[in-house]
Amino acid sequence: MSALLRAEQLTKAFGSTQAVAGISFDIAPGRCTALLGPNGAGKTTTIRMLAGLLQPTGGKLSYAGVKPGQSPNSLLGYLPQAPSFYGWMTGREYAVYAARLCGLSAAEARSQADALLERVGLSAAANRAISGYSGGMKQRLGLAQALVHRPKLLILDEPVSALDPLGRHEVLMLLRELKQETTVLFSTHVLHDAEQLCDDVLIIRNGEMALQGSIEEIKNNHRMSVITLHIEGDDHSKQWCVSYQGGAYVKELRRIEKGIELVVTDMELARRELLGQLAEDGIRVAKLEFGHSTLEDLFMKVVSG
Amino acid sequence: MSQWMIIWRKELLELARSYKLLWLPLVFLLLGVSQPIVTYFLPDILANAGNFPQGTVIEMPKPQSGEVLAQTLQQYGMIGSLIVALGFMGAVSSERNSGAASMILVKPISRSAYLLAKWTAMLVLVWGSLTIGYLGAWYYTSLLIGEVDAIRAIQALLVFALWLSVIGTLMIAGSVWLRSGAAAAFSALGLAILLSLTASFLPSALAWSPGQLPGLASGFLLGSIPDAAGMIIIAGAVLTAAILYAAVWRMRRMELP
Repeated sequence: MSALLRAEQLTKAFGSTQAVAGISFDIAPGRCTALLGPNGAGKTTTIRMLAGLLQPTGGKLSYAGVKPGQSPNSLLGYLPQAPSFYGWMTGREYAVYAARLCGLSAAEARSQADALLERVGLSAAANRAISGYSGGMKQRLGLAQALVHRPKLLILDEPVSALDPLGRHEVLMLLRELKQETTVLFSTHVLHDAEQLCDDVLIIRNGEMALQGSIEEIKNNHRMSVITLHIEGDDHSKQWCVSYQGGAYVKELRRIEKGIELVVTDMELARRELLGQLAEDGIRVAKLEFGHSTLEDLFMKVVSG
Repeated sequence: MSQWMIIWRKELLELARSYKLLWLPLVFLLLGVSQPIVTYFLPDILANAGNFPQGTVIEMPKPQSGEVLAQTLQQYGMIGSLIVALGFMGAVSSERNSGAASMILVKPISRSAYLLAKWTAMLVLVWGSLTIGYLGAWYYTSLLIGEVDAIRAIQALLVFALWLSVIGTLMIAGSVWLRSGAAAAFSALGLAILLSLTASFLPSALAWSPGQLPGLASGFLLGSIPDAAGMIIIAGAVLTAAILYAAVWRMRRMELP
């Protein structure tokens, strides 16, 4: 098996609600994968099943090198959405405790904990009680404790969602480094983060897999040419927009507040014809953009459609 | 060092940092010491506090030293079990509800080791507190009231420790099975009261019930040891093991937030 983790028809029902309804995917070693979806899509439920905190009600999870029925915990590093520590411990104590639980000797645990705290930028606060940590510091300590045993797969649930822009930037920079060293799976509803960091995406909606693949592949397959036209607010131009019917090249026509948006099949033809038309009719153009659909457009389409 | 030991040391550290390691023994000591002292001074206390007409003579039979220690154990049976409940009603459920347990249990450790470490930490604290308090009571009893038969006193202590272990194990199991600490305390104490009530109402039908344990402990001190003493102790140990097993069973299947 080449996949580090393979989920087949993974299902979780709470009573009569299907939180996750039979999703299948592979996590390849060395890749960084984003689990995307709107709130309530089943991201956290999926991640909790992968981490072994929830029992799937159906389907199969297999980890490379782990026999069925065996615990995969030694392969995994896990950081929940809102990590909760023992507030009475100091950051260093917690990191050492986590390392000892993973089977490191006392000396190894201390050096590994110190190295990781240094790396996540918590050295100065290492001897303070965790109860006094800020959200960003807790998130970074969470990363450190997830990494103590050099896990093969790092599973992060919404690692940056609750952070302010600065904290978010710091954690994203850390993740960028980490993905060089290990396989990372993280959930997010922020598309921008996924686009910046990941190789692969899994988009789920209502507990079902809506789209999966590598970012490049998805972008190429679903890339559409989009023309955005904004006009100034004069009556003539407004009138033109309302009556505009498009040409043979227009696949989709959307009227937006400031003008129109076109999805076109042939960009070159569209460019020539539209520019000519605009000039001919004397339209007051405020902004005219010939571009491509973003991942966000695709995401919106997939999750709402 | 085994994982169990690592978690156990963390539990003890937590008990120390939350001062449970301090106040539990203190409360037991206070309860234990006050029993012989109050008994000794009771006639004087009554004479000074009561609104008796002048010239009243208060004469009380001087209690036996064994009786005083048995009364101390009675105190521990009521207030002591309340305190055990207070100390351990959230042992697992609070960590589970906060999410701290999720972060620990995704590590490569077994869930039974996690639970057993909590259980043994509880036993150490409960036995330690009980022993300290009991020794205090013993010391003042022999000082103020009279010598106590050492073998009997130790036997009583061990039997009573088993009874508190049953209650403590019920508490830990309650905190595994129930999400709310108050509900766990209520059910565990309720079961303990049920056990001892049924045992005292139906002494012959339930001669082997673990609910006889507190009575048996007093029996050692008062010199009236029931015939079924051995069976009661075995029943107590079996019940503790069974409750613990139920807790581990549930812990293994528990879904975590």
